[in-house]
Amino acid sequence: MEKSVLRDPGFYVMVAIGLAAMLILPVVLDMFTIMQITQYVVLAVFALSLGYIWGFGGILSFGQAAFFGLGAYTFAVAAINIGETTIPLILAFAIPCLFGAALGYFIFYGRLSDVYLGVVTMVVTLLFWKLANHTAGPEYAIGAARLGGFNGIPSIPVMNIPGEPEAMLDPVQMFQVFMGFLIVVYIVLRLLIASDFGRVSIGIRENETRASLLGYDVRRHKLVVFAIGSGIAGLAGAMWATYQAFIDPNAFSMEMSAKALVWVMAGGVGTLVGPIIGVILLQWLTLKLGTMELLNSLAVLGAIMMVLVLALPKGIVPTLRKLIVDGWTLARRKKTGGKADE
Amino acid sequence: MSDWTNILETRGLTMQFGGVTAVDEVDFTLRDGELRCLLGPNGAGKSTFFKCLTGQLIPTRGTVTFKGQDMTGWNTHDIVNLGIGIKTQMPNVFDGVSVYENVRLSSRRKHMAAQAKELAEKTLERCGITHLAKREVGYLSHGQRQLVELAMVLAAEPALILLDEPAAGMTGEERDRLARLVLESARSAAVIVVEHDMVFIRQIAKFVTVFNRGAIFREAMIDEIMADREVQEIYLGKQANAASA
Ligand SMILES: Nc1ncnc2c1ncn2[C@@H]1O[C@H](COP(=O)(O)OP(=O)(O)OP(=O)(O)O)[C@@H](O)[C@H]1O
Ligand SMILES: [Mg+2]
Repeated sequence: MEKSVLRDPGFYVMVAIGLAAMLILPVVLDMFTIMQITQYVVLAVFALSLGYIWGFGGILSFGQAAFFGLGAYTFAVAAINIGETTIPLILAFAIPCLFGAALGYFIFYGRLSDVYLGVVTMVVTLLFWKLANHTAGPEYAIGAARLGGFNGIPSIPVMNIPGEPEAMLDPVQMFQVFMGFLIVVYIVLRLLIASDFGRVSIGIRENETRASLLGYDVRRHKLVVFAIGSGIAGLAGAMWATYQAFIDPNAFSMEMSAKALVWVMAGGVGTLVGPIIGVILLQWLTLKLGTMELLNSLAVLGAIMMVLVLALPKGIVPTLRKLIVDGWTLARRKKTGGKADE
Repeated sequence: MSDWTNILETRGLTMQFGGVTAVDEVDFTLRDGELRCLLGPNGAGKSTFFKCLTGQLIPTRGTVTFKGQDMTGWNTHDIVNLGIGIKTQMPNVFDGVSVYENVRLSSRRKHMAAQAKELAEKTLERCGITHLAKREVGYLSHGQRQLVELAMVLAAEPALILLDEPAAGMTGEERDRLARLVLESARSAAVIVVEHDMVFIRQIAKFVTVFNRGAIFREAMIDEIMADREVQEIYLGKQANAASA
């Protein structure tokens, strides 16, 4: 993580893979599969939001769905009222980001311990879920948008080209735009993590006491990291809302938060590729195993998680990375006769 | 800033944990540029005293004044940014990153990237750990981690350096280097060193403060302290207690 991003070949490989998927998949796959994959893309953005704050800020949130749902509802309400989707998309980032900052202020400046952080984020998610469920009556409307309680909000506008509300994206275009979002989020996070700000975050993750003893304001730093993660989760929520054209309180569910944790854990905490791979692999597995109708998909997810934690405690990507690095050093050591340590 | 001659002053500094008074009405004074050794048996309150100075603990009573500025109750990072660096008893380092990055995160606090890099490299050199620069700190020996933490403290160029048992876990060679480093640093900063290692103390000590049961027990030159029967007794007493426990 210490060398410059721009000199890391892995970074370019990842971006290239992303761009290739964005351009080639629509050509080789049918529309139905593309729509399936679009789901993975949205969830990958969501997973990245948690992968960033947990892996690079040491903030373990059990309520990432609070921001996902908030982004989804923000987008839905704004899009229905405004009749286009560009400003709603910005709001779906900004409002969860601000809410995350406010919640973060309470958590970090109140010096709540890590355990309480988990509890508070979880409780906030539950509160949102309860609240959203209680808005069934017609009196619960924001402008033209009825919140709909447990029935959710239907007919959410499909994304349109900025400035042209009539130019709605077809499923393939939506896939490509979402891939674009995923790539941009990945690039921005990589640059952020490699910046001085990001290095301080990593220091805070490693040892908060030392970070503050060097003169860094740990509270402010964590607040910023948390707020950025909240904004990205909100963006993912908006993508979810426009993709489904529908949103209900389950966006705020504990299941949503738990899944994000499992994806990040499975893929590897402390990487960005990990959470993305976690989403693809686990969503695909649950889909496959779920269609066999042998088991409840949540039970399957739980079982997969247990196996992963036991077999690959560090997650998929760090384990692979270590294998490759070890193999490489071993090969070099053989060639140079044992001087590969430097 | 107001005029001051003593870089550090505490008045009536007291830290209580429930019924335990770990630091008890301490009036401590350190002149600018002074090198002071702080001795005392286990549990005397030395580390707790350091924690009160750096805001890791908020004192129950009393005041801490640094460069004429009362900073009692301030946040750790604000205190540190006034120019205090501390090496804690159990090394607080960034385990998952390289030695170089540990030190650079310290020098970067006050310098632009290019100077921070230069200063970090220079400090590694000074501490004799340039060869470890790329190693992950979590995998180093205790003595090496102590040196890394010391490098982090020095790279911040503080006006007051607090070192809590810096020689613990070091080899003889590392310890000698440490003694030289402490003496060298004391030319540009005030330093307080807590240590139990008498060989090390003899290498650096001039004026000494002895703590016992949270209070200042003696303040005198090192030779006088070493000859002091009562000081020997509090050390021996503790050891006898420990042996019988
Ligand atoms: N966080 C705490 N809570 C309760 N008691 C504490 C705490 N920290 C220290 N103490 C107590 O305060 C007293 C002083 O401890 P301190 O660590 O300051 O001693 P010390 O002089 O640094 O000893 P050593 O030489 O062993 O490091 C001890 O009795 C210790 O048990
Ligand atoms: Mg101590």
